[in-house]
Amino acid sequence: MIENIYLVMLLLFIAGILLPCLTSSSPNVTNILAHGLSVLGCLAIVACSVEVFIAGGVTFTYAMGLPVGSLIIRIDNLSAFFLLALGVVGTAASIYALGYSREFYKQRLALMAALYNCFILSMALVLTVSQVAYFLIAWELMTVVSFFLVNHEYEKTANTRAAYKYILMTTLGTVFITTAFLILSMTVHSLDFQIFKGASLTNTMRNIVFFCALIGFGTKAGVIPLHIWLPEAHPAAPSHVSALMSGIMIKTAIYGLCRFYLEFLGVGPAWWGGVVLFLAIISSVLGVLYALMQHDLKRLLAYHSVENIGIILLGIGSGMIFMSTNQPVLAGLAFVAGLYHVFNHAVFKSLLFLGAGSVLYATHTKDIEHLGGLIKKMPYTAVFFLTGAAAISALPPLNGFVSEWLTYQSLFYLPQAVTGVIPRLGSVILIALLGLTGALAATCFVKAFGVTFLAKPRSKHAEQAKEVPGTMLTGMGLLSLMCLALGVWPQWMLNLLQGVVSQSAGLEVSGLFNNHWYAAAFNIPQANGVIAMPVIVGMLVVGLIAAVLVYNFNGKPKNVEGETWTCGIIPTARMEYTATGFAQPVRRAYKTVLRTKDNVTTDKTLNPYHGVKMKMTVGISYLINSWLYQPVKKGILFLVNRVKPLQSGNLQHYIGYVLLVTVVILILGVRW
Amino acid sequence: MSVLFMLLQVVVLAVLAPLVAGVIKNTKGKMQSRRGPGYFQVYYDLRKFFKKDNVFSPTVSWIFKAAPYIYFATALGAAALVPTLLFDRGLHYDNIFVLIYMLGLGRFFLALASLDAGSSFGGMGGSREMFINILVEPVLMLTLFTVALRANGTGMSQMASASASSGISLSAILAAIAFLILTVAETGRIPVDNPDTHLELTMVHEGMVLEYCGRSVGLIFWGSALKQLVTILLMVNFFLPWNPAGSLPPVVWMILKVLVIAVVLAGIETSTNKMRLFRLPGLLIATGCLSLLAIIAM
Repeated sequence: MIENIYLVMLLLFIAGILLPCLTSSSPNVTNILAHGLSVLGCLAIVACSVEVFIAGGVTFTYAMGLPVGSLIIRIDNLSAFFLLALGVVGTAASIYALGYSREFYKQRLALMAALYNCFILSMALVLTVSQVAYFLIAWELMTVVSFFLVNHEYEKTANTRAAYKYILMTTLGTVFITTAFLILSMTVHSLDFQIFKGASLTNTMRNIVFFCALIGFGTKAGVIPLHIWLPEAHPAAPSHVSALMSGIMIKTAIYGLCRFYLEFLGVGPAWWGGVVLFLAIISSVLGVLYALMQHDLKRLLAYHSVENIGIILLGIGSGMIFMSTNQPVLAGLAFVAGLYHVFNHAVFKSLLFLGAGSVLYATHTKDIEHLGGLIKKMPYTAVFFLTGAAAISALPPLNGFVSEWLTYQSLFYLPQAVTGVIPRLGSVILIALLGLTGALAATCFVKAFGVTFLAKPRSKHAEQAKEVPGTMLTGMGLLSLMCLALGVWPQWMLNLLQGVVSQSAGLEVSGLFNNHWYAAAFNIPQANGVIAMPVIVGMLVVGLIAAVLVYNFNGKPKNVEGETWTCGIIPTARMEYTATGFAQPVRRAYKTVLRTKDNVTTDKTLNPYHGVKMKMTVGISYLINSWLYQPVKKGILFLVNRVKPLQSGNLQHYIGYVLLVTVVILILGVRW
Repeated sequence: MSVLFMLLQVVVLAVLAPLVAGVIKNTKGKMQSRRGPGYFQVYYDLRKFFKKDNVFSPTVSWIFKAAPYIYFATALGAAALVPTLLFDRGLHYDNIFVLIYMLGLGRFFLALASLDAGSSFGGMGGSREMFINILVEPVLMLTLFTVALRANGTGMSQMASASASSGISLSAILAAIAFLILTVAETGRIPVDNPDTHLELTMVHEGMVLEYCGRSVGLIFWGSALKQLVTILLMVNFFLPWNPAGSLPPVVWMILKVLVIAVVLAGIETSTNKMRLFRLPGLLIATGCLSLLAIIAM
C-alpha cells in the first residue's frame, strides 16, 4: 500500500518537473499544471505518513542499476512525522503558489515551477532514503535546487550574493555530513542506515562523528554561528519557496541530527547535550535580537527561524542530557517538546512567510517602514498574519504556546539531572533566557504586525494595496487552522509524537501522557504537570463574554468618530511611530551585543533653527561576522596573496615549475 | 465543582481589585500630605466610564476595538488561575507559565492597539511597555523558579503550599525582595512607571492606552487593577506565605498581607522618584542577581 502511494508521489512530482518545461509558452497552463501536480504530490506525502502512523513503518528497495547499490526507502515514525509536516506545509504552499506565481508570468515561470516540484521531491527523498549514497545525492539535490530558487530573480545582485553565500556554506556543511557518514560506513562496511545502528566506534571516533553531524546539519539548520547564509537566502527566494525553506528545509537538518543521535550513535556523554544547549540558547537569543532590528519583513522572519531552531534544539539538547543521565521519561518529554516545536514552527513560519509574500504581492515592497494600514485593505491576510504572529510569540491558545510550555517543563527538570554548581546554574539561566526570547519575540511581532498592518499607510504602495487572490488566502487559511488545531487540541499531536519517540531506545514515553478530552497530563517520577488547552480556551471565552456583558451593562454605547489628537494638527502617516523607533529602547539597551551605530545628519544649510532637514540611519554590526568570518576571510585572502606571485604569467617561470616538479618526482622515484 | 469555585474566585477578585487600587491611591495621598482620593474612588471612576459613549479615531481597525476585551478577558483568566486560600480547588492545571503567557496575550494586544491610532504617543508607550516586559520576563522566570524548585513543579497551588511549608530562610528573603521589585515593575509604579500621569517622560502603560476613552478605558483600568491584585496575590502566596501562630483563619491573614503590600507599594512610590527608562536594565539586572543568589543559597 505505502509503496504504491510512494510511487504515485514520485511520479506526480516527476510529472510536475517535466511538464512545465513542455508548456512554457502558456504561463497559465504551466502554473495550474505544475502547482496542481505539487498539491497532489503533497497530499500523497500526507497519505504516506498517515498510512505509516496507522499501519507501521515499511522498508522497500528500488534496484537502480547504479554502482552505489539499490535505493533503500525506509519510512518509520520519525520519517513519517517530518513527512507529515512537509505534506501539510507543502500543500498549503502549493495552493498559495497557484496565485502567487502570477507575479512570475514574465520571469521564467516554467523553470521556477519545475524547480519547485523538484525541491519538494528532494525533501521527501531526504526524509525517506535510508542509504548513504542516495541520501547524499538527495541532500545535495535539495541544496542545488534551492540555490537556483534563491537565485531565481538574479537581476538583483543582492539575490545572487545571497545564493552564493548559501551554496558555499551548505556545501561546507555537506563536507562534514559526508565525513560523518563515511566514518560510520567504514566501520560497519555498509551503506545501509539500518546497519549503522549501534556501530561499534571508539569514543574519539564517536565524538568526531557527532561533531561532524552537528556542524554539517547545524549549517543547514542555521544554528549560530553557522547561520550567516540563512537571513539572506530565505528572503531572496520567491515567498512560497521561502515558506518551504524556513518551514521544512531547515528541519531536515533536525531530522538528520535526530537520526544520528537517536539511531546511529546512541546515548552519548552528557557534554554533547551541553554543547547543543549552548548553541541553542545563543541561536535563540541572538536570532531574535537581530530579528528585532530588521525592517525587511522577510529578513525579520528569517532571523526568527534562527531563533526557533534554537528553541527546538533546547528541547533536543536537554533530551540528550536526560538520556545521558539515565532519565528516560524526562528525555522522552524533552524530545517531544523539541519535535512538537518542529511541527509548530513549520506551520506558523510558513504561514508568516506566505503572509509576507502576500504583502509583497500587494505592495511590491518588503520594507515595513513603507507599509501600514494594510489591515483595512487586506483584512484576511491581516488575520492570518496575526494568527502566525501570535503563534510564534507563544501566546495561548495557539500552537507555539504548547511547545514552548513543554520546553519550559523539560528545562525545569534540567538542574536536577546535572551535577556541579556551574551546570546547574547554567540550566537555571536557560529558563530565564528562554523567557527573554519569548518577550523579545512578542515585541518583534508587535512591531512587525503593528507597523505593517495598522494605522495609516506610509506610502502610495501601501495605500493602493488590494486583497490577494483566493488561492493565496486558502493556503494561508489552511495553515492558520493548523495553528489553531495544534494549539487548542494538542492531544492528537502528542499521541502521534508518543509513537515517534517510543521507537528509540533510551526514551520512555509510554504512559507519559494521560490524555483526557480537556487536558493532556504528563506523569514523570519527579512530579506531574497538566497542559489543559481546552480549559484555557474556555477561560478566555468566558472572560470575553464577561467583558462584553460588562461593556454593554448600561445599554449599547454610541460610537462617535473623532480624529486622533495630535496637538491640533491634522495627523499624517509621518507622525506614526516607526519600526526603527519601536525597537529603539532594545537597540539601546543591548548596544554592547548589537554594536549599534546611530547616525544623524542634519542639513542646516537652509535654516539653522527651524525646519532643518534631518536624516537618521541606524546600523548594527554582527558580532559573529566580525569575530569569526572576517578573520577567516582575511586569512584566506592573505594566503591567496602569498600564493599569487607563483602565477606570474611568465612562460619561463611555468617551464621552471614543470622542471622543478619533474625533479621532485624523480627524486621521490629514486628513493622508492 | 471546581469550575464553580473558579468562577466564584474570579468574581470575588474582580470585585475587590478596584478597592485595593483605591487603598493604594488613598495611602499614597496621605503619605504625600494630601487627603487622597477615597477608598472607593476607583469604583466611582469605573461606574462613570461604563456610562460613557465611545470616540474612535477613523484610523483605527478592529484590533483597537477588540484589544480591551482581550485584555480584560486575560486578566479574568489570570484571576481564575492565581492561588488563593479561599478554596482548595483541586486544580492541576493552574500552571505558572500559563498565567505568565496569559498576561502576555493581553499585553500583546494592547501594544498592538497602541500602534493602531497612528499617534506617536501611543507607539512610544507600546514600545516602552514591551521593552520593560523584555527586562522583567527573564527575571520573573528566575524568581518564580526559586519557589518552583522548592515545590518540584510549576503548578501554582503546589508552589504555594510548598513555600508555605518551608520556613524563613536567606533564600526566601532574597527571593521576596526580588519579587517585590518585580511587583513594582509589573504594576507599572514608580520608579519604573508612573500610574498617575501620562506625560511624555513617564509614558509607559498610561501612554499606551492614551487613545482610549469611555467603556474601553473602563475595561482596561479594571483589567489593570485586577492584574495588580493578581501580582500582589502571587507575592503573598509565594514569597510571604508565613502566618503568625494564632487563632485567625489564614484567609484573614492573606487579606491583611495584601493590604500591607498595598501600603508598601504606596510607600515605595512616595519615597523614590521615577527612574530614567535606560536606568531600568540596571535595576532589573540587580534583581536578577538577587534571585540567582536566592537559588544558590537554597
